[in-house]
Amino acid sequence: MTPVGALALPWFDRNLLRAVEKIVPADDRAEWSRTWRAELWHMHHRARRAKNLGITIDLSIGLICDALWLRTDRWGRALHGTPTLCLGSIAGLCLLATLFELALNGSWRAFEHSSRGQFERSLFAAVLVIFVSFATASRGHIDQGSTSKGICGLKRQMFFAAKSALVLLLAFLLSTDICRPIHALFPNTADALQLLMFVPFALLGLRWAFGDQERRCKQCLRSLAGPARVGRPSHNLLEWNGTELACKQGHGLLSVPEMETSWCDSSRWVELNPAWE
Amino acid sequence: MNMARLSHSAALILKALSLGYCFGLDVMEATGLPSGTVYPALRRLERDELVESKWEPEEEATAKQRPARRYYEVTREGKAAALAATQRYPLLAHLVPEKRS
Repeated sequence: MTPVGALALPWFDRNLLRAVEKIVPADDRAEWSRTWRAELWHMHHRARRAKNLGITIDLSIGLICDALWLRTDRWGRALHGTPTLCLGSIAGLCLLATLFELALNGSWRAFEHSSRGQFERSLFAAVLVIFVSFATASRGHIDQGSTSKGICGLKRQMFFAAKSALVLLLAFLLSTDICRPIHALFPNTADALQLLMFVPFALLGLRWAFGDQERRCKQCLRSLAGPARVGRPSHNLLEWNGTELACKQGHGLLSVPEMETSWCDSSRWVELNPAWE
Repeated sequence: MNMARLSHSAALILKALSLGYCFGLDVMEATGLPSGTVYPALRRLERDELVESKWEPEEEATAKQRPARRYYEVTREGKAAALAATQRYPLLAHLVPEKRS
């Protein structure tokens, strides 16, 4: 057995390890700590590096980066495809667009003053855009079987409403950001241009929101993964031909037909038996 | 594994590992890359299954009165990726010296 004293680390390393290991996810902590104790020990016991402060600092940075990587990778895997990440990302873009707008205006008051009229006009246009989007959107997202009722259905509708509202807000902020530089010189032209830009941005945004909603699990609302081609294009009118996407949590499959046929005109959500999970 | 996503530093680290530098410190020394690049890159390579990590046998380390270290080995996919990276970055082979046994 190796004597404990022989494997001891200097005070700085011990405390650094103790502080940084709190960043590491709990189930990786023991292995991370063991790895870095060994790395630091070997660094100190290499004769030619014994008094090299540079490598100590460099390795300390590596230790922190390694811990941060483990934490962000865990967060990344946990949040990947979740509705929280989707809403957070759009909200983050809205925040960035607002900050840009504030920087262009100089103050919140000036921003509020210059955007009030544009906001009211955009709000009116948004009603029309929503109407057009719903009228022209694929009906596929509505064919969801039994999951369209109850708490799942309510949660899905709330998520869609929040996503659409954020997308419209982002469309408004982007259109005002683009038109702001010419607003001081040509206020009327800038206002008209802002409205003209808001409409396509909002239409595209809502189109994306519908598509994104369709390609999410109807139970957990995570993005569906693993698209697989099923069938052959030449058999389109005879048998199933399209793409299948699966929920990583095993809740179900989404079958998206390659083209609309009389017997299969929309995407179908097939719930998997919970006993298979 | 998507080869297009292998960065230059990841390719350099993979090359060092395939030349026999199997510990993090050795890879740092051989490549000249900072530890803040090497250790997270090793994690990514392991996640992408291009390398796998193992622990030295405890008895071996105890006999030498030192803690056991985690070492990295290039997988079959990793070897293919290292070869492709060498073809893509021809100077890579000259950047990392051959490890003396």
